[in-house]
Amino acid sequence: MENIIKDIQNRFEVSDIVNQRDNITFVTCEKEKTIALITHMKKNLGFKHFVLMTAVDWIEDGLFQLTYILNNPKKKLDVAIRTFISRENATMETAHKLWKQVSTYQRELKEMFGIDFPGSPRVNESFILEGWNDIPPYRRDFQTKEYAEKTYFPRPGRKTNDPSEYMKKNMS
Amino acid sequence: MKKQKNIFNWQADRSKYPEKKKNGKLDIDMSSGKFVKLWQGPNHPGITGNMSLELTISGDEVVEAKTHVGYLHRGFEKLMERRLWIQCFPTCVRMCVAEPDYNEYLLAKSAEELSGIEIPEMAEWLRTLVLEMARLQSLLRTVPGQAGTLSLGVGVQWGVYLRDLVLDLFEELTGGRVYHMYIIPGGVRGLLPDGFKKRMEEVLKKIDEFVKNIENLMFNNIVFKKRTIGVGYIKPSWIDKYGIVGPNARAAGFKRDVRKDYPYLKYNELDFEVTSEKDSDIFARSMVRKKELIMTIDLIRQIMAKMPKKGDIKAPTPNVLHWKIPKGETYVRSESSRGEYGFYTVSDGSKTPRRINLRGPSYTHAISLLERMLVNANIADVHSIMVSLQTCPPEIER
Amino acid sequence: MAIKDILTPFTAWKKVFNEPVTIKDPFNDRPGAERYRGFHKNELQTCIGCGSCEEICENEAIDLVAVKGYETKNGDSGLRPMVDYGRCCWCALCVDVCTTGSLTLSNEYTWVAENPDEFRFVPGAENKAWDKNELGWKKPVPNYEFYGQKRVKMEELSPEERDHSFIEIIKGYSKEQAQLEADRCVECGICIATCPANMGIPEYIKAIREDDMEHGLKILYETNPLPEICGRICTHKCETVCSVGHRGEPLSIRWLKRYIADQVESAEYKRILGTDGIENNGKTVAIIGSGPAGLSAAHYLSLMGYKVTIYEQYAKAGGMMRYGIPEYRLPYDQIDKDINYILSLGVNIKYNTKIGKDISLAELRDKYDAVFAGTGLHLGRSTRIPGTDHEHVYQAIDLLNKITEGKEIHVAEKIVVIGGGNVAMDITRSLARLQNQKYGKVQIIATALESEENLPADVEEVIEAREEKAIINPGWGPQYIEIENGKIKGLHVNKCLSIFDEEGRFNPKFDENNKNFFEADMIVESIGQGMDIAYITEDIKSELEFGPRGRIVVDENFQSGAKWLFVGGDIIQGPDVIHGIANGHKAAYGIDNFLKNK
Ligand code: SF4
Ligand code: SF4
Ligand code: SF4
Repeated sequence: MENIIKDIQNRFEVSDIVNQRDNITFVTCEKEKTIALITHMKKNLGFKHFVLMTAVDWIEDGLFQLTYILNNPKKKLDVAIRTFISRENATMETAHKLWKQVSTYQRELKEMFGIDFPGSPRVNESFILEGWNDIPPYRRDFQTKEYAEKTYFPRPGRKTNDPSEYMKKNMS
Repeated sequence: MKKQKNIFNWQADRSKYPEKKKNGKLDIDMSSGKFVKLWQGPNHPGITGNMSLELTISGDEVVEAKTHVGYLHRGFEKLMERRLWIQCFPTCVRMCVAEPDYNEYLLAKSAEELSGIEIPEMAEWLRTLVLEMARLQSLLRTVPGQAGTLSLGVGVQWGVYLRDLVLDLFEELTGGRVYHMYIIPGGVRGLLPDGFKKRMEEVLKKIDEFVKNIENLMFNNIVFKKRTIGVGYIKPSWIDKYGIVGPNARAAGFKRDVRKDYPYLKYNELDFEVTSEKDSDIFARSMVRKKELIMTIDLIRQIMAKMPKKGDIKAPTPNVLHWKIPKGETYVRSESSRGEYGFYTVSDGSKTPRRINLRGPSYTHAISLLERMLVNANIADVHSIMVSLQTCPPEIER
Repeated sequence: MAIKDILTPFTAWKKVFNEPVTIKDPFNDRPGAERYRGFHKNELQTCIGCGSCEEICENEAIDLVAVKGYETKNGDSGLRPMVDYGRCCWCALCVDVCTTGSLTLSNEYTWVAENPDEFRFVPGAENKAWDKNELGWKKPVPNYEFYGQKRVKMEELSPEERDHSFIEIIKGYSKEQAQLEADRCVECGICIATCPANMGIPEYIKAIREDDMEHGLKILYETNPLPEICGRICTHKCETVCSVGHRGEPLSIRWLKRYIADQVESAEYKRILGTDGIENNGKTVAIIGSGPAGLSAAHYLSLMGYKVTIYEQYAKAGGMMRYGIPEYRLPYDQIDKDINYILSLGVNIKYNTKIGKDISLAELRDKYDAVFAGTGLHLGRSTRIPGTDHEHVYQAIDLLNKITEGKEIHVAEKIVVIGGGNVAMDITRSLARLQNQKYGKVQIIATALESEENLPADVEEVIEAREEKAIINPGWGPQYIEIENGKIKGLHVNKCLSIFDEEGRFNPKFDENNKNFFEADMIVESIGQGMDIAYITEDIKSELEFGPRGRIVVDENFQSGAKWLFVGGDIIQGPDVIHGIANGHKAAYGIDNFLKNK
């Protein structure tokens, strides 16, 4: 593992290295170099198994974190690559050429987070949310509860009491 | 098992259509009258959950397939971002109905790893047991279920009955039949009830018997063989290309199993061999699952024998009502009956998760892989191919 | 292709004559398992309406509602959980978190009703068929907890380290300890109503968890301007009702309060509390006595812009807190920290000024817009048994007073203390220390009418006194002091059978056949204190109303019959510090209202 991290550190200047466990390490890579890094890891370092990719919304920093987890099935190691992209007009280079299933992930990220992957097959087709016209719902600023309250009918007649308020009212 | 060849078998591209356009793309012109759209689903076919396949067919052959999901989307990943860590525990189970326990385990494990909590030995054993029981009940549906897709319903009925017996055991141990809500962050929620071992053994004996019976019913059945051998072939080169895991990969000769490769819980104290087959067709995948069923029975027997009599079931955790998990992220995986099942969990140091992302095997199996496999398949084989991948839509859309 | 493959599947036909496995009568043949998670049950008598179940429910299936027959009282909100089965997912987290253990699930899972609203009810209040089911989910035991049941131990000086001197015994929590202890709070707020000052307990405990001392201090000062003091010696009634105490040990609320105050430097107080430059409203209030009630009133009045002057009979401020409570429990510098902050708000204090002697109450009335009297209980009461007029029979309160002033007091080799309250423990332990210093050993006995279980003193006080080698021998009634040649020989006591008669009046009964004698050459009486309100002259008295045992009658704002005179503290309620603080706070608002409307 050490050698692998050294290798990609030299070539791609990855930072924020966290050895989460013996066999999984998290690294951060610049947006522009990320796909090259992933390609390198797949082609030259044996990280043939694509575990997943997903996004994390750091709305307070105006950033999306994209995480790609790659696995080397021979050496039984995982490396997770984080890269940060701007939330505004979020776009990322597509990786669909590397693994067949990547386009599905990218399609989902487009729909759920509004991150575009130009050139990724069917990226603009709706995946789960046919007919959705609100903001991409997995963004942090999409309020699930508000949405549920305006979309569904709350059961009428429900009312609760806060114990301390109620006691204050009844005991003074 | 020797691969059998005969006229019923699959051959590459039997139809004249679609022709290729000059640019190399397929020429699928719906107005030409040469193609028909056929939808399979989204009604619940009984084993796999609601999902639909948009098939373009020419004659009896599929020329293009698209998987449509979204019928089960409840946004669990998002909902968990708005809940206390402990409140995610009853929510996460719903991401996979067939084996909810893996969700419980992975959530608990992520929370424990990120907060540096070690759980008691007893809890580890009980978790291992519950995960194997989950596999057992799942396989009791899937193994005969494959024959069910070919209208051989008897095995399914046997399986469903036995699965119910396993669910009875679940009910005794965890208080629930389908959603067990047993593996809680910090440990588990109960020791084995009195006499559990005995009742477990009684059920396992019945399942032993069942394995023999389906051997006769399915695997030595000419109809089943004809419809599965050579059908739904997965090229070994696709395994990594498509991210294929679990029995689907093992049936292609890839001896990959999270339990062996990245041992978790008590798996390195248990004795087992990773199952595999070579032919990589539906029959091979069924065989792998049958072997897996036998192995699970054996594993449960081992666990029951090795498990300590008593011990603590839960490590102390911070007060769950304001449990903050230190900032960090991790990926933990386990081997579900469908293959690598993992949680990518991010904590921002607050009381609620920042992000929990489920990596389910069906995400790749039911979409990119299935869409590829269905091309040139006979429409009569579509559902058996789908079931042979053991797809589970809830884990695709979460 | 083998012929076998055609024939073997037919072996399945063998099963055609098997007995069917279907359950024939699922309503009766198939009860849920022992741990089944079915409909809720709740023992409403045990439940305290803390709302933890509501808090943890991820589906918002629980509402807390008033239920007939359950009143709001100390330690019980009177509310009970109502479950909406349209939302419940039967996870039983509510059961596992329940602070009292009243909530369980039954093993019943079948129930048909036509009206969907019937699926919303208060478990335990509706006589459901499953209310008596033995089976069903219960919280797993043991060592399965959702929050800590054990207190974080408070470190204190060992008896050997402390029994020679008056240095503070309790060391106080470290940050780590405080946060661990604060983590146990379930934020129910049940304790708030029991605290006489209604302090925002869960909120300041939360501030500790979040390590936000400034916010914590603000919360403390909202209701209590003497946090260092209360954080040490409050009678902590809140802890007796803490929800967590039902299955485990209650939160150390008092030590947590102290922790916050200890963390903040005095110099920071004004900035944090935003009390720089309060605008004066031109009105004046006189306060008699600088005890907790007076200081609290002074604090809140100052914040409202009043010019406050305190009249204090002694040389230093604090009243009983300084002159009654020994230093090892409440160090003087901590008293000063709290008081100096209040004085820094512009409160003027006149020391060594006794009302009725140096200045009359009428003068205050004429000079100020309003007067608040919190003069406390400073007169020691005597048992009046034969011999109490001897010169070596003392009043505890006088001795404590002298110790504070640093005056030499008589310390005999063998001492008996009569009394079983906190003051009795204070003097016993103080004298034990002095005996240690003087004679190198302790020979002191404290005796009281009350039996061991009913001793009015805090349990810790009794335990610690014993650790310091004082003998606490309760359950005896003093009869007479034996004096020989002008010297005290000791105290004769009879076993006390009962203290109150059938009507609840003080009327102790003794067992004449069970006598005892405590040898001593000095006796200290500590059976309670009385008030000295001689400063209220007859003309003013005539405007006041008096209740039982001569207590001045006041309204809910502590306003007396003489509208300009507000009265609070031990002479009205208590006796303890926290009631004084609460009285002073309310009186401040009362005075404000009174003066605004005048
Ligand atoms: S947690 Fe228990 S005690 Fe508290 S309100 Fe709920 S049922 Fe009652
Ligand atoms: S069982 Fe679960 S869902 Fe139902 S009321 Fe209790 S906490 Fe809520
Ligand atoms: S201190 Fe006890 S009673 Fe008060 S809010 Fe916390 S848990 Fe509830």
